[in-house]
Amino acid sequence: MDINWAQILLNSVITGSIYLIGAIGLSVTYRLSNFSNFAHAEFITLGAFIGYWVSSQLGWGLLPAFIIAFLLTGTVSLLCYRGIFQPLAKRGASTIHLMIASIAVGFIIRYSIGAGWGWTPQYFLNTWTTYEVGAIRITGLWLLLILVTLTSALTMHFALMRTKLGKAIRASSSNPELAAASGINVNRVILITWFIGAGLAAIAGIFRGASTQVWPMTGWDIILPIFAVVVLGGIGNYHGAIVAAFIIGLTENIGVVALTNLGLATEYRMALAFLIIIITLIVKPQGLAMFFRRA
Amino acid sequence: MSPILSAKNIDAGYNDVIVIRDISIEINTREIVAILGPNGSGKSTLIKSILGFAKLFDGKVIYHGKDITGITSDRAVHMGIGYVPQINNVFSNLTIAENLDMGAYPCKDKKSIKSRMTETYDIFPELAARKKALAGNLSGGERQMLAIARAMMAQPKVLLLDEPLASVSPKPGSAILSKLNSIKDKGTAILIVEQNVQKVLSISNRGYVLVNGACVMSGSADSLFDEESSRQRFLGLEEKVLDNN
Ligand SMILES: Nc1ncnc2c1ncn2[C@@H]1O[C@H](COP(=O)(O)OP(=O)(O)O)[C@@H](O)[C@H]1O
Ligand SMILES: [Mg+2]
Repeated sequence: MDINWAQILLNSVITGSIYLIGAIGLSVTYRLSNFSNFAHAEFITLGAFIGYWVSSQLGWGLLPAFIIAFLLTGTVSLLCYRGIFQPLAKRGASTIHLMIASIAVGFIIRYSIGAGWGWTPQYFLNTWTTYEVGAIRITGLWLLLILVTLTSALTMHFALMRTKLGKAIRASSSNPELAAASGINVNRVILITWFIGAGLAAIAGIFRGASTQVWPMTGWDIILPIFAVVVLGGIGNYHGAIVAAFIIGLTENIGVVALTNLGLATEYRMALAFLIIIITLIVKPQGLAMFFRRA
Repeated sequence: MSPILSAKNIDAGYNDVIVIRDISIEINTREIVAILGPNGSGKSTLIKSILGFAKLFDGKVIYHGKDITGITSDRAVHMGIGYVPQINNVFSNLTIAENLDMGAYPCKDKKSIKSRMTETYDIFPELAARKKALAGNLSGGERQMLAIARAMMAQPKVLLLDEPLASVSPKPGSAILSKLNSIKDKGTAILIVEQNVQKVLSISNRGYVLVNGACVMSGSADSLFDEESSRQRFLGLEEKVLDNN
Protein backbone atom coordinates (compact mmCIF):
# COMPACT_ATOMS: atom_id res chain seq x y z
CA MET A 1 0.00 0.00 0.00
CA ASP A 2 1.19 3.48 -0.90
CA ILE A 3 1.45 5.79 2.06
CA ASN A 4 1.04 9.51 1.44
CA TRP A 5 3.42 10.84 4.08
CA ALA A 6 2.92 14.49 3.14
CA GLN A 7 -0.79 14.11 3.78
CA ILE A 8 -0.17 12.31 7.06
CA LEU A 9 2.08 15.13 8.16
CA LEU A 10 -0.54 17.72 7.24
CA ASN A 11 -3.27 15.74 8.98
CA SER A 12 -1.06 15.59 12.07
CA VAL A 13 -0.68 19.36 12.04
CA ILE A 14 -4.47 19.73 11.78
CA THR A 15 -5.14 17.27 14.59
CA GLY A 16 -2.39 18.79 16.72
CA SER A 17 -3.71 22.31 16.18
CA ILE A 18 -7.13 21.49 17.57
CA TYR A 19 -5.56 19.66 20.51
CA LEU A 20 -3.22 22.57 21.21
CA ILE A 21 -5.93 25.25 21.28
CA GLY A 22 -8.06 22.88 23.31
CA ALA A 23 -5.29 22.05 25.78
CA ILE A 24 -3.77 25.45 26.66
CA GLY A 25 -6.54 26.45 29.05
CA LEU A 26 -6.65 23.05 30.74
CA SER A 27 -2.89 23.02 31.21
CA VAL A 28 -2.58 26.54 32.64
CA THR A 29 -5.58 26.32 34.96
CA TYR A 30 -4.49 22.85 36.11
CA ARG A 31 -1.20 24.30 37.31
CA LEU A 32 -2.59 27.53 38.76
CA SER A 33 -5.68 26.15 40.49
CA ASN A 34 -4.09 22.84 41.40
CA PHE A 35 -6.66 20.50 39.91
CA SER A 36 -7.57 19.14 36.50
CA ASN A 37 -10.85 20.62 35.37
CA PHE A 38 -12.80 17.88 33.61
CA ALA A 39 -15.53 20.36 32.70
CA HIS A 40 -12.98 21.71 30.23
CA ALA A 41 -14.39 19.12 27.81
CA GLU A 42 -17.75 20.85 28.06
CA PHE A 43 -16.16 24.24 27.38
CA ILE A 44 -15.09 22.74 24.05
CA THR A 45 -18.59 21.40 23.45
CA LEU A 46 -20.20 24.67 24.45
CA GLY A 47 -17.94 26.52 22.02
CA ALA A 48 -18.93 24.14 19.23
CA PHE A 49 -22.64 24.67 19.92
CA ILE A 50 -22.42 28.44 20.27
CA GLY A 51 -20.36 28.56 17.07
CA TYR A 52 -22.90 26.36 15.28
CA TRP A 53 -25.79 28.43 16.61
CA VAL A 54 -24.28 31.78 15.59
CA SER A 55 -22.90 30.78 12.21
CA SER A 56 -25.34 28.13 11.00
CA GLN A 57 -28.61 28.75 12.87
CA LEU A 58 -28.49 32.54 13.06
CA GLY A 59 -26.47 32.71 9.83
CA TRP A 60 -24.13 35.44 11.07
CA GLY A 61 -20.97 33.92 9.65
CA LEU A 62 -17.86 32.45 11.20
CA LEU A 63 -16.06 35.49 12.59
CA PRO A 64 -18.95 36.48 14.89
CA ALA A 65 -19.22 32.79 15.80
CA PHE A 66 -15.60 32.73 17.00
CA ILE A 67 -15.93 35.95 18.96
CA ILE A 68 -19.25 35.15 20.62
CA ALA A 69 -18.24 31.55 21.43
CA PHE A 70 -14.97 32.80 22.95
CA LEU A 71 -16.64 35.41 25.12
CA LEU A 72 -19.66 33.37 26.23
CA THR A 73 -17.67 30.22 27.01
CA GLY A 74 -15.05 32.31 28.82
CA THR A 75 -17.82 33.82 30.91
CA VAL A 76 -19.32 30.41 31.74
CA SER A 77 -15.86 29.25 32.81
CA LEU A 78 -15.38 32.34 34.94
CA LEU A 79 -18.72 31.74 36.65
CA CYS A 80 -17.85 28.07 37.25
CA TYR A 81 -14.56 29.02 38.87
CA ARG A 82 -15.87 31.97 40.83
CA GLY A 83 -19.11 30.30 41.86
CA ILE A 84 -18.05 26.70 42.47
CA PHE A 85 -14.34 25.86 42.42
CA GLN A 86 -12.95 28.89 44.22
CA PRO A 87 -15.44 28.71 47.13
CA LEU A 88 -14.75 24.96 47.42
CA ALA A 89 -10.98 25.55 47.43
CA LYS A 90 -11.38 28.27 50.07
CA ARG A 91 -13.19 25.79 52.28
CA GLY A 92 -10.24 23.46 52.05
CA ALA A 93 -11.42 21.12 49.28
CA SER A 94 -8.58 18.88 48.12
CA THR A 95 -7.43 18.30 44.55
CA ILE A 96 -9.61 15.18 44.42
CA HIS A 97 -12.71 17.01 45.69
CA LEU A 98 -12.25 19.72 43.08
CA MET A 99 -11.69 17.18 40.32
CA ILE A 100 -14.88 15.33 41.19
CA ALA A 101 -16.77 18.62 41.43
CA SER A 102 -15.51 19.45 37.93
CA ILE A 103 -16.80 16.13 36.61
CA ALA A 104 -20.19 17.02 38.09
CA VAL A 105 -20.10 20.51 36.59
CA GLY A 106 -19.18 18.94 33.24
CA PHE A 107 -22.19 16.60 33.43
CA ILE A 108 -24.51 19.48 34.23
CA ILE A 109 -23.28 21.53 31.27
CA ARG A 110 -23.31 18.52 28.95
CA TYR A 111 -26.88 17.49 29.75
CA SER A 112 -28.07 21.09 29.72
CA ILE A 113 -26.68 21.38 26.21
CA GLY A 114 -28.39 18.10 25.35
CA ALA A 115 -31.68 19.39 26.75
CA GLY A 116 -31.36 22.63 24.81
CA TRP A 117 -30.08 21.46 21.42
CA GLY A 118 -30.85 17.76 21.56
CA TRP A 119 -28.53 14.75 21.19
CA THR A 120 -28.81 14.33 17.43
CA PRO A 121 -25.55 15.35 15.77
CA GLN A 122 -25.71 18.70 13.98
CA TYR A 123 -23.50 19.87 11.14
CA PHE A 124 -22.13 23.30 10.27
CA LEU A 125 -23.79 24.55 7.08
CA ASN A 126 -20.57 25.99 5.69
CA THR A 127 -19.14 24.35 2.60
CA TRP A 128 -15.38 24.36 2.27
CA THR A 129 -13.35 24.51 -0.89
CA THR A 130 -10.79 21.74 -1.17
CA TYR A 131 -7.40 22.68 -2.57
CA GLU A 132 -4.98 20.17 -4.05
CA VAL A 133 -1.32 20.99 -3.76
CA GLY A 134 0.79 18.22 -5.23
CA ALA A 135 -0.07 15.08 -3.33
CA ILE A 136 -1.90 16.79 -0.48
CA ARG A 137 -5.49 17.91 -0.12
CA ILE A 138 -6.39 20.72 2.19
CA THR A 139 -9.76 22.32 2.88
CA GLY A 140 -10.48 25.97 3.54
CA LEU A 141 -11.44 25.04 7.11
CA TRP A 142 -8.04 23.50 7.68
CA LEU A 143 -6.27 26.55 6.28
CA LEU A 144 -8.30 28.70 8.63
CA LEU A 145 -7.43 26.39 11.53
CA ILE A 146 -3.73 26.63 10.76
CA LEU A 147 -3.99 30.41 10.54
CA VAL A 148 -5.90 30.70 13.83
CA THR A 149 -3.51 28.31 15.59
CA LEU A 150 -0.43 30.17 14.39
CA THR A 151 -1.92 33.51 15.36
CA SER A 152 -3.03 32.43 18.81
CA ALA A 153 0.16 30.47 19.52
CA LEU A 154 2.32 33.46 18.64
CA THR A 155 0.09 35.91 20.50
CA MET A 156 0.20 33.70 23.59
CA HIS A 157 3.96 33.36 23.29
CA PHE A 158 4.55 37.10 23.17
CA ALA A 159 1.95 37.76 25.84
CA LEU A 160 3.59 35.27 28.21
CA MET A 161 7.16 36.36 27.50
CA ARG A 162 6.81 40.12 27.06
CA THR A 163 3.76 41.53 28.81
CA LYS A 164 3.42 42.21 32.49
CA LEU A 165 0.29 40.08 32.75
CA GLY A 166 1.99 37.21 30.91
CA LYS A 167 4.99 37.29 33.21
CA ALA A 168 2.62 37.46 36.17
CA ILE A 169 0.89 34.31 34.88
CA ARG A 170 4.23 32.49 34.63
CA ALA A 171 5.31 33.81 38.02
CA SER A 172 2.03 32.81 39.68
CA SER A 173 2.06 29.32 38.24
CA SER A 174 5.61 28.57 39.34
CA ASN A 175 5.47 30.23 42.76
CA PRO A 176 2.10 31.60 43.87
CA GLU A 177 3.29 32.61 47.34
CA LEU A 178 6.18 34.68 45.98
CA ALA A 179 3.87 36.13 43.34
CA ALA A 180 1.57 37.37 46.08
CA ALA A 181 4.59 38.68 47.98
CA SER A 182 5.50 40.63 44.83
CA GLY A 183 2.15 42.39 44.84
CA ILE A 184 0.49 40.22 42.19
CA ASN A 185 -3.18 39.56 42.78
CA VAL A 186 -2.91 35.83 42.12
CA ASN A 187 -6.66 35.34 42.30
CA ARG A 188 -7.19 37.80 39.49
CA VAL A 189 -4.50 36.07 37.43
CA ILE A 190 -6.30 32.77 37.94
CA LEU A 191 -9.64 34.24 36.86
CA ILE A 192 -8.08 35.68 33.72
CA THR A 193 -6.58 32.32 32.75
CA TRP A 194 -9.90 30.57 33.32
CA PHE A 195 -11.54 33.06 30.98
CA ILE A 196 -8.96 32.98 28.19
CA GLY A 197 -8.36 29.22 28.50
CA ALA A 198 -12.05 28.41 28.10
CA GLY A 199 -12.36 30.94 25.27
CA LEU A 200 -9.62 29.10 23.40
CA ALA A 201 -11.30 25.77 24.17
CA ALA A 202 -14.43 27.16 22.52
CA ILE A 203 -12.44 27.97 19.38
CA ALA A 204 -11.11 24.40 19.36
CA GLY A 205 -14.70 23.25 19.74
CA ILE A 206 -15.81 25.17 16.66
CA PHE A 207 -13.04 23.64 14.55
CA ARG A 208 -13.73 20.17 15.87
CA GLY A 209 -17.47 20.62 15.40
CA ALA A 210 -17.08 22.03 11.90
CA SER A 211 -14.78 19.22 10.80
CA THR A 212 -16.80 16.41 12.40
CA GLN A 213 -20.14 16.95 14.13
CA VAL A 214 -21.69 19.04 16.83
CA TRP A 215 -23.29 17.10 19.65
CA PRO A 216 -23.14 17.10 23.47
CA MET A 217 -20.08 14.81 23.39
CA THR A 218 -18.00 16.89 20.97
CA GLY A 219 -15.56 17.93 23.72
CA TRP A 220 -15.59 14.63 25.57
CA ASP A 221 -14.67 12.87 22.30
CA ILE A 222 -11.25 14.56 22.32
CA ILE A 223 -10.60 15.10 26.03
CA LEU A 224 -8.26 12.11 26.26
CA PRO A 225 -5.72 13.32 23.65
CA ILE A 226 -6.03 16.80 25.16
CA PHE A 227 -5.09 15.40 28.56
CA ALA A 228 -2.21 13.62 26.85
CA VAL A 229 -1.01 16.99 25.52
CA VAL A 230 -1.22 18.51 29.03
CA VAL A 231 0.66 15.63 30.66
CA LEU A 232 3.29 15.17 27.94
CA GLY A 233 3.86 18.92 27.64
CA GLY A 234 4.25 19.28 31.39
CA ILE A 235 1.37 20.68 33.41
CA GLY A 236 1.19 24.44 32.96
CA ASN A 237 4.00 24.47 30.43
CA TYR A 238 2.91 26.40 27.36
CA HIS A 239 5.87 25.63 25.09
CA GLY A 240 5.80 22.00 26.15
CA ALA A 241 2.13 21.86 25.17
CA ILE A 242 2.89 23.11 21.64
CA VAL A 243 5.40 20.35 21.01
CA ALA A 244 3.26 17.75 22.76
CA ALA A 245 0.19 18.64 20.69
CA PHE A 246 2.04 17.90 17.48
CA ILE A 247 3.61 14.74 18.86
CA ILE A 248 0.14 13.49 19.81
CA GLY A 249 -1.26 14.56 16.44
CA LEU A 250 1.50 12.70 14.64
CA THR A 251 1.15 9.61 16.83
CA GLU A 252 -2.55 9.48 16.18
CA ASN A 253 -2.28 9.89 12.41
CA ILE A 254 0.55 7.42 12.00
CA GLY A 255 -1.37 5.18 14.38
CA VAL A 256 -4.40 5.23 12.11
CA VAL A 257 -2.28 4.10 9.16
CA ALA A 258 -0.62 1.40 11.23
CA LEU A 259 -3.93 0.18 12.64
CA THR A 260 -5.47 0.07 9.17
CA ASN A 261 -2.53 -1.90 7.82
CA LEU A 262 -2.77 -4.29 10.73
CA GLY A 263 -6.46 -4.71 10.04
CA LEU A 264 -7.46 -3.26 13.42
CA ALA A 265 -10.24 -0.75 14.10
CA THR A 266 -9.04 2.87 13.87
CA GLU A 267 -11.02 3.58 17.07
CA TYR A 268 -7.94 2.29 18.87
CA ARG A 269 -6.20 5.57 18.05
CA MET A 270 -7.60 7.06 21.27
CA ALA A 271 -5.80 4.34 23.15
CA LEU A 272 -2.56 5.75 21.75
CA ALA A 273 -3.14 9.03 23.62
CA PHE A 274 -3.77 7.04 26.77
CA LEU A 275 -0.59 5.08 26.18
CA ILE A 276 1.38 8.31 25.89
CA ILE A 277 -0.07 9.57 29.19
CA ILE A 278 0.95 6.36 30.93
CA ILE A 279 4.42 6.24 29.43
CA THR A 280 5.03 9.89 30.30
CA LEU A 281 3.93 9.40 33.89
CA ILE A 282 6.17 6.37 34.27
CA VAL A 283 9.27 7.66 32.49
CA LYS A 284 9.23 11.42 33.07
CA PRO A 285 6.28 12.72 35.09
CA GLN A 286 7.20 16.37 34.40
CA GLY A 287 6.92 15.65 30.68
CA LEU A 288 8.64 17.97 28.23
CA ALA A 289 8.83 20.71 30.89
CA MET A 290 12.52 19.96 31.37
CA PHE A 291 13.22 21.31 27.88
CA PHE A 292 11.11 24.43 28.31
CA ARG A 293 12.10 25.93 31.62
CA ARG A 294 10.97 29.48 30.92
CA ALA A 295 7.33 28.55 30.52
CA MET B 1 9.29 58.28 67.21
CA SER B 2 6.75 55.52 66.76
CA PRO B 3 7.95 52.34 65.06
CA ILE B 4 7.25 51.90 61.34
CA LEU B 5 6.09 48.31 61.88
CA SER B 6 5.07 46.60 65.07
CA ALA B 7 3.48 43.30 65.93
CA LYS B 8 1.70 43.21 69.28
CA ASN B 9 0.99 40.08 71.30
CA ILE B 10 0.92 37.80 68.28
CA ASP B 11 -0.40 34.24 68.53
CA ALA B 12 0.03 32.50 65.20
CA GLY B 13 0.38 29.08 63.60
CA TYR B 14 -1.13 26.75 61.02
CA ASN B 15 -4.57 25.17 60.77
CA ASP B 16 -5.61 24.67 64.41
CA VAL B 17 -2.13 24.68 65.90
CA ILE B 18 -0.66 27.72 67.60
CA VAL B 19 3.10 27.81 67.01
CA ILE B 20 4.13 31.19 68.45
CA ARG B 21 2.57 32.81 71.49
CA ASP B 22 2.37 36.39 72.69
CA ILE B 23 5.20 37.75 70.56
CA SER B 24 5.68 41.51 70.33
CA ILE B 25 8.27 43.15 68.10
CA GLU B 26 9.00 46.62 66.79
CA ILE B 27 11.00 47.89 63.84
CA ASN B 28 12.03 51.52 63.42
CA THR B 29 13.20 53.33 60.31
CA ARG B 30 16.99 53.21 59.88
CA GLU B 31 17.17 50.05 61.92
CA ILE B 32 18.13 46.45 61.27
CA VAL B 33 16.37 44.16 63.70
CA ALA B 34 17.42 40.52 64.03
CA ILE B 35 15.19 37.59 64.91
CA LEU B 36 17.29 34.79 66.36
CA GLY B 37 16.61 31.36 67.67
CA PRO B 38 17.06 27.68 66.93
CA ASN B 39 15.40 25.84 64.06
CA GLY B 40 11.69 25.37 64.51
CA SER B 41 11.36 28.12 67.10
CA GLY B 42 8.81 30.01 65.01
CA LYS B 43 10.88 32.74 63.37
CA SER B 44 9.45 32.17 59.89
CA THR B 45 5.97 31.80 61.33
CA LEU B 46 6.27 35.21 62.94
CA ILE B 47 7.08 36.89 59.62
CA LYS B 48 4.45 34.88 57.77
CA SER B 49 1.77 35.83 60.26
CA ILE B 50 2.36 39.51 59.50
CA LEU B 51 1.64 38.86 55.80
CA GLY B 52 -1.20 36.39 56.01
CA PHE B 53 0.86 33.32 55.05
CA ALA B 54 0.43 31.87 58.53
CA LYS B 55 -2.78 31.99 60.54
CA LEU B 56 -3.01 34.85 62.98
CA PHE B 57 -4.99 33.74 66.03
CA ASP B 58 -4.57 36.81 68.16
CA GLY B 59 -2.68 40.09 68.27
CA LYS B 60 -2.30 43.19 66.16
CA VAL B 61 -0.05 44.36 63.36
CA ILE B 62 0.49 48.13 63.11
CA TYR B 63 2.18 49.75 60.11
CA HIS B 64 2.75 53.50 59.99
CA GLY B 65 0.30 53.88 62.84
CA LYS B 66 -2.37 51.99 60.90
CA ASP B 67 -3.89 48.69 61.96
CA ILE B 68 -3.14 46.23 59.14
CA THR B 69 -3.89 43.04 61.05
CA GLY B 70 -4.88 40.23 58.65
CA ILE B 71 -3.68 42.01 55.51
CA THR B 72 -2.91 39.82 52.49
CA SER B 73 0.66 39.92 51.24
CA ASP B 74 -0.12 41.39 47.82
CA ARG B 75 -1.72 44.37 49.53
CA ALA B 76 1.12 44.59 52.03
CA VAL B 77 3.57 45.03 49.15
CA HIS B 78 1.52 47.87 47.73
CA MET B 79 1.72 49.57 51.14
CA GLY B 80 5.49 49.23 51.36
CA ILE B 81 6.19 45.96 53.14
CA GLY B 82 8.63 43.78 51.23
CA TYR B 83 9.17 40.09 51.95
CA VAL B 84 11.83 37.57 51.02
CA PRO B 85 10.73 34.05 51.99
CA GLN B 86 13.13 31.48 53.41
CA ILE B 87 12.65 29.01 50.56
CA ASN B 88 11.62 29.37 46.91
CA ASN B 89 12.43 33.06 47.05
CA VAL B 90 12.97 33.59 43.32
CA PHE B 91 10.87 32.73 40.26
CA SER B 92 13.09 29.99 38.90
CA ASN B 93 11.36 29.95 35.48
CA LEU B 94 11.94 33.67 35.00
CA THR B 95 15.15 35.45 34.05
CA ILE B 96 16.90 37.84 36.42
CA ALA B 97 15.41 40.82 34.59
CA GLU B 98 11.94 39.27 34.65
CA ASN B 99 12.24 38.57 38.38
CA LEU B 100 13.04 42.22 38.98
CA ASP B 101 10.17 43.21 36.73
CA MET B 102 7.82 41.14 38.87
CA GLY B 103 9.27 42.76 41.99
CA ALA B 104 8.13 46.11 40.61
CA TYR B 105 4.65 44.76 39.86
CA PRO B 106 2.83 47.38 41.99
CA CYS B 107 4.52 50.16 39.99
CA LYS B 108 2.58 51.19 36.89
CA ASP B 109 5.08 53.74 35.55
CA LYS B 110 7.46 52.21 33.01
CA LYS B 111 10.05 54.95 33.38
CA SER B 112 10.15 54.53 37.12
CA ILE B 113 10.55 50.76 36.73
CA LYS B 114 13.51 51.36 34.43
CA SER B 115 15.24 53.69 36.86
CA ARG B 116 14.62 51.28 39.75
CA MET B 117 16.11 48.53 37.61
CA THR B 118 19.24 50.64 37.06
CA GLU B 119 19.46 51.44 40.77
CA THR B 120 19.07 47.79 41.69
CA TYR B 121 21.77 46.73 39.24
CA ASP B 122 24.02 49.39 40.82
CA ILE B 123 23.58 47.77 44.21
CA PHE B 124 23.90 44.26 42.75
CA PRO B 125 26.37 44.44 39.83
CA GLU B 126 26.60 40.63 40.05
CA LEU B 127 23.06 40.49 38.66
CA ALA B 128 23.57 43.15 36.00
CA ALA B 129 26.10 40.91 34.29
CA ARG B 130 23.55 38.10 33.88
CA LYS B 131 20.22 39.81 33.19
CA LYS B 132 19.01 37.09 30.85
CA ALA B 133 20.07 34.16 33.01
CA LEU B 134 17.29 31.95 34.32
CA ALA B 135 16.96 32.38 38.10
CA GLY B 136 16.84 28.61 38.42
CA ASN B 137 20.40 28.43 37.10
CA LEU B 138 21.98 30.82 39.63
CA SER B 139 24.37 29.93 42.43
CA GLY B 140 23.20 30.13 46.05
CA GLY B 141 24.69 33.58 46.59
CA GLU B 142 23.38 35.00 43.32
CA ARG B 143 19.96 33.61 44.04
CA GLN B 144 19.78 35.26 47.48
CA MET B 145 20.92 38.55 45.97
CA LEU B 146 18.22 38.27 43.33
CA ALA B 147 15.66 37.49 46.01
CA ILE B 148 16.56 40.66 47.92
CA ALA B 149 16.83 42.71 44.72
CA ARG B 150 13.39 41.51 43.62
CA ALA B 151 11.87 42.71 46.89
CA MET B 152 13.72 46.04 46.67
CA MET B 153 12.16 46.78 43.27
CA ALA B 154 8.91 47.69 45.04
CA GLN B 155 10.86 50.29 47.07
CA PRO B 156 9.61 48.95 50.40
CA LYS B 157 9.72 50.97 53.62
CA VAL B 158 10.22 47.75 55.55
CA LEU B 159 11.94 44.63 54.30
CA LEU B 160 11.27 41.27 55.98
CA LEU B 161 14.11 38.86 55.23
CA ASP B 162 13.89 35.19 56.17
CA GLU B 163 17.39 33.69 56.34
CA PRO B 164 18.93 35.51 53.36
CA LEU B 165 22.31 33.93 54.03
CA ALA B 166 21.15 30.31 53.95
CA SER B 167 23.19 28.21 51.50
CA VAL B 168 25.50 31.14 50.78
CA SER B 169 29.26 30.73 51.25
CA PRO B 170 31.01 33.17 53.64
CA LYS B 171 32.36 35.62 51.08
CA PRO B 172 29.17 36.41 49.17
CA GLY B 173 27.45 36.24 52.56
CA SER B 174 29.49 39.18 53.82
CA ALA B 175 28.82 41.00 50.55
CA ILE B 176 25.08 40.55 51.07
CA LEU B 177 25.30 41.84 54.64
CA SER B 178 27.10 45.00 53.59
CA LYS B 179 24.49 45.55 50.86
CA LEU B 180 21.80 45.25 53.53
CA ASN B 181 23.60 47.88 55.53
CA SER B 182 23.52 50.31 52.63
CA ILE B 183 19.87 49.50 51.95
CA LYS B 184 19.15 50.43 55.57
CA ASP B 185 21.15 53.64 55.25
CA LYS B 186 19.00 54.62 52.28
CA GLY B 187 15.94 54.47 54.52
CA THR B 188 14.50 50.94 54.40
CA ALA B 189 14.01 49.33 57.79
CA ILE B 190 15.02 45.66 57.84
CA LEU B 191 13.80 42.72 59.87
CA ILE B 192 16.14 39.81 59.39
CA VAL B 193 15.91 36.19 60.48
CA GLU B 194 19.28 34.52 60.55
CA GLN B 195 21.01 31.45 61.94
CA ASN B 196 24.50 32.92 61.94
CA VAL B 197 24.19 34.97 65.11
CA GLN B 198 27.60 36.55 65.07
CA LYS B 199 27.29 37.76 61.49
CA VAL B 200 23.80 39.12 61.75
CA LEU B 201 24.35 40.90 65.06
CA SER B 202 27.34 42.66 63.52
CA ILE B 203 24.98 44.66 61.29
CA SER B 204 21.91 44.74 63.57
CA ASN B 205 20.80 47.43 65.98
CA ARG B 206 18.53 45.23 68.05
CA GLY B 207 17.33 41.68 68.23
CA TYR B 208 14.78 39.25 69.60
CA VAL B 209 15.46 35.66 70.55
CA LEU B 210 12.69 33.11 70.03
CA VAL B 211 12.73 29.70 71.59
CA ASN B 212 9.85 27.27 71.23
CA GLY B 213 7.49 29.92 69.98
CA ALA B 214 8.15 32.35 72.82
CA CYS B 215 10.33 35.44 72.99
CA VAL B 216 12.92 34.71 75.68
CA MET B 217 15.14 37.71 75.25
CA SER B 218 15.36 41.02 73.43
CA GLY B 219 17.58 44.07 73.43
CA SER B 220 20.38 45.84 71.66
CA ALA B 221 22.68 43.80 69.47
CA ASP B 222 25.56 44.42 71.88
CA SER B 223 23.63 43.35 74.92
CA LEU B 224 22.44 40.20 73.19
CA PHE B 225 25.95 39.44 72.11
CA ASP B 226 27.38 40.03 75.57
CA GLU B 227 24.79 38.06 77.40
CA GLU B 228 26.72 34.99 78.43
CA SER B 229 23.69 32.84 79.03
CA SER B 230 22.15 33.75 75.71
CA ARG B 231 25.28 32.74 73.87
CA GLN B 232 25.38 29.43 75.60
CA ARG B 233 21.77 28.48 75.82
CA PHE B 234 20.09 30.02 72.84
CA LEU B 235 22.51 31.24 70.29
CA GLY B 236 24.73 28.20 70.27
CA LEU B 237 27.93 30.08 69.55
CA GLU B 238 31.14 28.13 70.02
CA GLU B 239 33.71 29.46 72.45
CA LYS B 240 36.25 29.45 69.62
CA VAL B 241 34.22 31.80 67.47
CA LEU B 242 34.21 34.32 70.27
CA ASP B 243 37.95 34.02 70.82
CA ASN B 244 38.51 34.89 67.19
CA ASN B 245 36.53 38.04 67.63
N1 LIG C 1 3.12 25.17 56.86
C1 LIG C 1 3.19 24.63 58.09
N2 LIG C 1 2.18 23.86 58.55
C2 LIG C 1 2.23 23.32 59.79
N3 LIG C 1 3.24 23.52 60.65
C3 LIG C 1 4.27 24.28 60.27
C4 LIG C 1 4.30 24.88 58.96
N4 LIG C 1 5.44 25.58 58.86
C5 LIG C 1 6.09 25.44 60.03
N5 LIG C 1 5.39 24.66 60.89
C6 LIG C 1 5.78 24.30 62.25
O1 LIG C 1 5.90 25.49 63.00
C7 LIG C 1 7.01 25.44 63.86
C8 LIG C 1 7.87 26.67 63.64
O2 LIG C 1 8.38 26.64 62.33
P1 LIG C 1 9.14 27.87 61.69
O3 LIG C 1 8.38 29.11 61.96
O4 LIG C 1 9.40 27.54 60.28
O5 LIG C 1 10.49 27.89 62.52
P2 LIG C 1 11.87 28.61 62.20
O6 LIG C 1 11.66 29.53 61.05
O7 LIG C 1 12.21 29.32 63.47
O8 LIG C 1 12.85 27.53 61.90
C9 LIG C 1 7.74 24.14 63.57
O9 LIG C 1 7.40 23.23 64.57
C10 LIG C 1 7.17 23.69 62.25
O10 LIG C 1 7.10 22.30 62.20
MG1 LIG D 1 12.47 29.50 59.22
